Amino acid sequence: MKIASQETGKSRRARRSETIILFSVAHQTFAISAESVQEIRSTDSLAGSATEIEHPAIGKVRHTLERAHRIYYIVNACAHFSLPVTRPTLVLILRQLRVAVLVDKIERMAEISAVHALPRAFDGEERRWYRGLAYVDDHVIPVIQPAGFLTHEEFQLLDRATLAADSQREMEGAVQA
Amino acid sequence: MTAAENSARDSFVLLQVGERRFALPADKVAELAPPVRLHTFPHSSALVAGVIVRRGRIVPVYDVAPALLGSESPAHRFYLIAQREFGAAVEPSALPVNGECELATAEMQPPEAGRPAYVAGTLAVGGESVDVLNFEALVAATPQAAESNSSSRDEARP
Repeated sequence: MKIASQETGKSRRARRSETIILFSVAHQTFAISAESVQEIRSTDSLAGSATEIEHPAIGKVRHTLERAHRIYYIVNACAHFSLPVTRPTLVLILRQLRVAVLVDKIERMAEISAVHALPRAFDGEERRWYRGLAYVDDHVIPVIQPAGFLTHEEFQLLDRATLAADSQREMEGAVQA
Repeated sequence: MTAAENSARDSFVLLQVGERRFALPADKVAELAPPVRLHTFPHSSALVAGVIVRRGRIVPVYDVAPALLGSESPAHRFYLIAQREFGAAVEPSALPVNGECELATAEMQPPEAGRPAYVAGTLAVGGESVDVLNFEALVAATPQAAESNSSSRDEARP
């Protein structure tokens, strides 16, 4: 009994809290680990620095953003989650992934002690979208899986589309000159 | 077989969904939970309406009314918590019900030919024929298939 009680104490101490950012898209609240977000900017600040891109198979990406010589794909969260289209005001630039996400607003930050596994009943795209579920102030909120915004194949398609668009712009520039 | 095993085999929970009564084997049912907040978020899983929090666990809620009744979910008062099997794992799952649940002991008869796969059999309860649900088959059915099953069932009945 004594050993068991010590182990319980250890597991309690080992439980690590995580800081999350709560944001909303089309009146739905989502959570994302604060560690996954490099920067939050207003969409107004992107004017002039975002470049249009179009791929028929990936309608949720309409713009790219260049930062530190890397192309970031801007994903419209409404389109990603199949929610009604809204006018996003903020963009979350993710860390370690070439993805930025358009969202409506940041609600607040919070600390959570656990991310609960998504029940097995959920067997659709949400298994790629979410890491799990968090229970925050009597609300169950999905915790975003950052790598779920774009698949490896989608990155490849977008990279090719970006290269093609760059070549097109260079040709048009040469013709005008 | 012991008396207890025999009793468990023939025990069913009768539940009310809309205007109709159905039955689930009692050994699949964990409890009848009071009405609590339904939490929803974007997903693409058929029949899943959202989740509730019950005894500290997050429990998925299946909206089975379109499958069973061919119509939208009627106002419900309680959640029947049943166990759904995923291979070796078991997950509690909630079914919205009207609250008129009761325990019945009866012998299940095999389903008539052509009934949907989610009908495991029928019970004769108080002069009424009640469909016994195969929970796994019910929640695995797509809404379209279930509606089609529901329509064909209605057409087959006088």
